[in-house]
Amino acid sequence: MQITLKNLKRYYGTLHAVDDVSLTIPSNTIYGIIGKSGAGKSSLVRLASMLERPDSGEIYYDDRRIDTLTGKDVIQERRKIGMIFQNFNLFSSRNAEQNIAYPMEICGMDREHIRKRCEELLKVVGLDGRGKAPISTLSGGQKQRVAIARALACEPEILFCDEATSALDPQTTRAILALIKDIQKKMGLTVVMITHQMEVVRDSCSRVAVLEAGCVAEEGDVADIFASPKSEVTKDFLSNVKFSNQDIIRWSKDGGKYRLGFRGGKTDDVVISRVTMDTGAMFNIRAAGVQEIKGEQVGVMIVDIDREHADVAIRALRESGVSVEETI
Amino acid sequence: MNQQLVNLVMKATGETLTMVSLSTLFSLVLGLPIGVLLHVTSNPEQGGIIPNTLVNSVLGRIVNVLRSFPFIILMILLIPLSRKIVGTSIGTKATIVPLSIAAAPFVARIIESALKEVDPGVIQAAKAMGSTNWQIIYKVMIPEAMPALVSGITLTIINLIGYSAMAGAIGGGGLGDLAIRYGYQRFRPEYMLCCVIIILLLVEVIQVVGNRIAGRMLARR
Repeated sequence: MQITLKNLKRYYGTLHAVDDVSLTIPSNTIYGIIGKSGAGKSSLVRLASMLERPDSGEIYYDDRRIDTLTGKDVIQERRKIGMIFQNFNLFSSRNAEQNIAYPMEICGMDREHIRKRCEELLKVVGLDGRGKAPISTLSGGQKQRVAIARALACEPEILFCDEATSALDPQTTRAILALIKDIQKKMGLTVVMITHQMEVVRDSCSRVAVLEAGCVAEEGDVADIFASPKSEVTKDFLSNVKFSNQDIIRWSKDGGKYRLGFRGGKTDDVVISRVTMDTGAMFNIRAAGVQEIKGEQVGVMIVDIDREHADVAIRALRESGVSVEETI
Repeated sequence: MNQQLVNLVMKATGETLTMVSLSTLFSLVLGLPIGVLLHVTSNPEQGGIIPNTLVNSVLGRIVNVLRSFPFIILMILLIPLSRKIVGTSIGTKATIVPLSIAAAPFVARIIESALKEVDPGVIQAAKAMGSTNWQIIYKVMIPEAMPALVSGITLTIINLIGYSAMAGAIGGGGLGDLAIRYGYQRFRPEYMLCCVIIILLLVEVIQVVGNRIAGRMLARR
């Protein structure tokens, strides 16, 4: 299901939590919304998931406007979406299986169906046979798996993940992301992933919106944004991603004024040498490597360019489809 | 003589148990809806899911007024009501009316504060899944708050044992009545002692059982 947000605004007193946000979240993808704490991403997801009403603006699921729904209609519509949270928000008064059963119970499904579906879902999330386990006996990752199963119980078309991996360690985060990706593919879900971790976006999303102070600072294809970030926030986020883990070898600690990004076919081209020959610019390579961003390989090179020819060289590089940005 | 003491104390204990159990039941019937209403109509920051300032403040005021009434005065004020409901204003049956009404606002506050302790994230999750308000209350809030509710009810029962003893002052029957009529007015300290010991035992047993139940609930989570 495609989600369309049009000019959404939500103010809390003088705080502009969501300030004129328009986004189109395409169907059947994992869409990331990244921002620092207080950037308005949680407020945005609360609006998109009908937990709160916008002060102004419109929200559509496919062609259906949902922000104007009231009473029973809101409740019916909420039953068609799934949501998982940073703190899992499981019912401690129920065991794993009963947690998964809850959304089906409130829809009035019959017991036998609920029982079968619980078993099925426990298998899907890899908790086969743990159905009777009290919530407190589960680890963080297992709790999130139960939460995912619960969110999927009524076969939703949209899954909202509000900082779903923020309380988990890196290994568990990867496992949970893998599970979400797998489920997304199998069920053709539209997943909206709220996060403050660029690694989460890199490993799972195909598109991303970067939020800052309630506004969209940047939006686009994840590989594009990693290769050539435009806004300051995005650059800030990217600088915190540990490139060392991503096979970039740095030969020298100092220098390296420019960061070149080579995408897709560009890695097969002899761009640098041609630019040197055409413009006479000299390159000094400080670091280089390949980053994997959502299955696509992006070549990254940190270089110095001799001052005299820098401007011409940068223009020539950009013309050949290589992204260039100053790092210092 | 000894036989008489045993008989009287047995009878009085039975009366106290009847009064306390029935008034616990009725005060829950009265207090539970009020407590739930107090909580759900509070403002959203405090966990209210159907915020309504008017209902909340009116209800809160009524509860406060009833709670600040000294029980002995409430009992006297409620004599006409007791007469209307049970047909008499003295004895065990008649005492159940003021006991229930005195304990109801206490129960309401205890239930309110137990519900306030429920993790707001869990309520949010229930809401996001499309629960109706009613489903949130009876399928999420109350089960989630159950251990705290059990502790609260234990406290209510113990309070009611104390109140029921006081009811003896206006001829309410039970252990308090026996202690006053025999122990105090007829200078029979053994009656007083017996009554006090039995009341202490009752309180102790109820506290221990209540703690056990709440503890077992928490252990199963």
